[in-house]
Amino acid sequence: MLSTMIEANSLTKRYGGRTAVRDVSFRCEPGTVTGFLGPNGAGKSTTLKMLCGMAQPTGGGATVMGMPFAELPNPGRRVGVLIDASAQHSGRRGAEVLATSAQLMGVDHKRVGEMLELVGLDRAAGRKRVGKYSLGMRQRLGIAHALLGDPEVLILDEPANGLDPEGMRWMRALLRDFADRGGTVLLSSHLLGEVQATADRLVVIARGEIVAQGTPGELTGGVPRTVVRAADGELADRALRRALEEEEIVVSESPDGGLLTEADPGIVGRAAMRGGVALAELRPASDGASLEQLFFELTTDKTEYHAELPELQEAAR
Amino acid sequence: MSATASLRSPGATARQTSRDRRPGTGRLVAVELRKMLNTRAGMWVPIAVAALTALVSIIASSNHGGHEGTFRHALHAASVPGAYLLPVMGVLLICSEYSQRTTLTTYTLVPNRWRVLGAKLGASLIVSTLATVTALLFSILAASIFGHAPGGTGSLPLSIILQTWLFLGSGMVMGMAFGAAILVSAPAIVAYLLLPLVWNGLAGNISWLQTPARWLDSDNTLGPLTQQNLTGTQWAHAAATFALWIGVPLVIGLTRIGRGDLD
Repeated sequence: MLSTMIEANSLTKRYGGRTAVRDVSFRCEPGTVTGFLGPNGAGKSTTLKMLCGMAQPTGGGATVMGMPFAELPNPGRRVGVLIDASAQHSGRRGAEVLATSAQLMGVDHKRVGEMLELVGLDRAAGRKRVGKYSLGMRQRLGIAHALLGDPEVLILDEPANGLDPEGMRWMRALLRDFADRGGTVLLSSHLLGEVQATADRLVVIARGEIVAQGTPGELTGGVPRTVVRAADGELADRALRRALEEEEIVVSESPDGGLLTEADPGIVGRAAMRGGVALAELRPASDGASLEQLFFELTTDKTEYHAELPELQEAAR
Repeated sequence: MSATASLRSPGATARQTSRDRRPGTGRLVAVELRKMLNTRAGMWVPIAVAALTALVSIIASSNHGGHEGTFRHALHAASVPGAYLLPVMGVLLICSEYSQRTTLTTYTLVPNRWRVLGAKLGASLIVSTLATVTALLFSILAASIFGHAPGGTGSLPLSIILQTWLFLGSGMVMGMAFGAAILVSAPAIVAYLLLPLVWNGLAGNISWLQTPARWLDSDNTLGPLTQQNLTGTQWAHAAATFALWIGVPLVIGLTRIGRGDLD
C-alpha cells in the first residue's frame, strides 16, 4: 500500500499578477483525516481543484495515489471528490445523478440505493429533482456521490456547509469511520470546530499560504496556556493586564473574553495578587481553546492584511 | 444512516477486478445520451421534435400547395423540425454542463475533457440518426396514407436519405460547436441563429462578398441536401460551409474546454 495518498508539492496558482495560492505543500497518509483550514478566500478551493485536475497549477504539482489525478484510469473508483454540492443539474432526480455516475464508473446499480440510505436520503428524496433539495440534502447527495465508487481517498470541500448539528455529527462519525478502516480523508473548512473533533492533522492556510500544519498537539506546541478573567468587568481586566505585563507575562485577548497567556496558572495567580486584582476565573486552557486561539492568531493578521488588498482577496476566491 | 453500515476497508469491493479499467468510449457515449435525456428539459425537446415531425409530415402530405405530393417532398418537410431543434439540443449538450456546473462532476470522473467532448459528439450523431429515421418513417407513412406514389420524379433514393441524415447531423454538430465556443446557452443559441443571418445580409449588400457567400451561406449550400442529389460544386460549397460554421467554433471550443479552469 502507498504511504502517501495525497501529496501537494509547492502548488502555486497565479491569476494575472495576483497569487491566489503560493507554494502549498502537504501530504495525507492512509488512515488519517486531514483538516484543511482557513478563512473564506484563503485559497482552499483553488488548492483542492488543483489536486483534482480541475485547475492547472501555475507552479508545483500534486499527486493522488502516487500519480497526477488526471492520469488515474477510472478516478471515481479510487478518489471520491466533492468540490461543490450545489453544482448539480437542478432538473435531474437525486437517484438519477448517482445512477448516471454509477454507470460511468462501472459500479453496480445496487450501490445507488445503498449510498442514498447511508447518507439518510429516503426513496422519496431520491425521486425528487435536485432543484428542490435543501443545501443540507445536496451536501448529503454529494457525499453519497463521493462514496459511490467505493474509493480509498475522499477529497471534500466544505462538506459540513448547510448541515444541521445532527448532520454534522453524523458526517464526523462517517469520516472518522472511513479513516479508521484505512481510508484517507482531506476535508476543508473555514470553521475550526467542524474539523477539530475528527482531524488527525490540520493544515492551516491563510492568504494562499500554509501558515501551520501538524497534529493539533503539535500545533499548540504543548505550551501550557492559561485563561484568566478579572472579577469586576472591563476596567479590572485592564488592571489585570497591567499587573501581568509588569511581571513580563505575555497576554492576549481570548476570543470569548478574558485573557490568555502562556504562563502557568500559579504564576498568573501570584502576579494578579501582587497587582491587587481579584479573579473570577483562573484555569489551564483546554486544548480546544488553545487551538482556537492559535487558529485565530494564525489567520487574523493575514486577513487584515488581506482587507487592505481587496484584489488579492478576489484572486484567492 | 448508520456511519458504520459497511465494516470493510474502503475500496474492498472488486479490489482485484475492473476498478482501474478506464471507462470505454461506448460507455461514455451511453452516459452522454443518458444525461441528454434524464433532465426535465432534456426529455421534452426530443419528444417535441418527434411530435412536430409527425405533424409536419401529415401537413406536407395532405396539403402540398401546388407541389406534386411526393415522398421526397414529405421527407424534406419532415426534416424541418429537427433542423431547428437538433442544433438547440447540440448547444445545450455542452452549455448545460457549464451553466449547471456539472462539469465539476463530469471532469472529475473523466479528467480527459476531449474524451468527454468526443462522447458528446458520438451522442449527437446517434440522436441525429434517430431523428432522421423518425422523419423518414413519419414521411413515408404520411405520404402513403395520402396515396402518393413512391416512384417517379419525387422518388426517394438512398442518396437523398443519406443527405438528409448529413443535413440533420451537421446541424446538431454545428450547435455543439457553437455551444463549445461560447459555453453559455442563450448567447450560443443566438450566435448560432444570428451569425449566418448577419453573414448573408452582409453578403447580399456587398458585391465583393457575393462569391464567398455562395460558398459559405448555409441556407444556399446546405438547403439542397434534402431536395436533390448534390453536384460536385455543391459538395464543395457544403464542405466550405462546414469548415467555417463547424470547424471554426469547434476549434475555439476545443481550446477553451481543454484549458479552462473550472469554477
